[in-house]
Amino acid sequence: MHSSVVRIQNVFGFFTTVAFVVAALIAASDLIAPRTPSANVALKDVQVVRGRPHYYSSKKEEYAVIKFSLSADLSSLFTWNTKQIFVYVSASWPNSTSTELTNEAVIWDTIITNPSADHLQNIGPVAMKKLIRSAKGKSIDPSRGKIELKNQKAKYQITAPTGKVAETDNVVLRVHYNVQPWVGILTWTPQIEFGSWKKIKGGVSKAFKLPPLKVKKEEKKE
Amino acid sequence: MADQLLDQARELAEGQIDFEGQKLAELLATALLATVGAISFIVGFFLQDIKLALYIGLGGTALTFLLIVPPWPFFNRHPVKWLPVAGTETKSQGILVDGQVVG
Repeated sequence: MHSSVVRIQNVFGFFTTVAFVVAALIAASDLIAPRTPSANVALKDVQVVRGRPHYYSSKKEEYAVIKFSLSADLSSLFTWNTKQIFVYVSASWPNSTSTELTNEAVIWDTIITNPSADHLQNIGPVAMKKLIRSAKGKSIDPSRGKIELKNQKAKYQITAPTGKVAETDNVVLRVHYNVQPWVGILTWTPQIEFGSWKKIKGGVSKAFKLPPLKVKKEEKKE
Repeated sequence: MADQLLDQARELAEGQIDFEGQKLAELLATALLATVGAISFIVGFFLQDIKLALYIGLGGTALTFLLIVPPWPFFNRHPVKWLPVAGTETKSQGILVDGQVVG
């Protein structure tokens, strides 16, 4: 510590140690924050139509077009270390060739930021202003974890590798989430209870059967 | 004249402090950084504000740098007392060559 350069090195060296320890403590503080999410998801409407995977494709596949309602309370997931939460709804059905595997495809998703991460949202300037104003003066905003969707159209129309999904039985909608922290590991919807982290309450719809293919009028010309 | 100026500039840049000052600087740096880390975590946790925790941590560290790095006078309050140079008691100030005083 005899000269300025040595003192800079010493102070910076210990600063990195302190920063690492504080970061580890922040990551660990997640474990004592209870996570008690609940969700209710229900099918509203479903039809199966034929379409192409992309514009230049000559392949025709069947797509399930789903409408659903979702009422979820994920507010307990918002703590000081939450950067954003990724919520997604999937449709899953049993595999015809295996009892252990299931087919699962995401039909809808959304990103909910904590106010500390609002500037990272990929939205236009007007929506950004509105978002930032909605949480003015708040460091965390658990009310953003309350989702009420009625008759929501799916973002993604789903199909199966075979291209056939009509009349598939035992399809369920499931709610999943990811918690992305500022410091620490990304956590997925827990499959087991882990300390104060509870499994999602509800979050699975009643099983339903996809309807037969809806025949469009244009197709009769072929 | 130019040499003296250069020497002064070098001393300022090197920022040497005495031994007691080094001990104090070491202690202060460790204590301050640890305290800043603890405060930033506690404030951040209880106010549930991670940005505030970050700013407290970085601000406190900047202040620590400011306090520790420059050679402040309180790091130089115990200058080393050197023994008198041997030979100053002898009357002869000149250089002895072959038993004769030259210069």
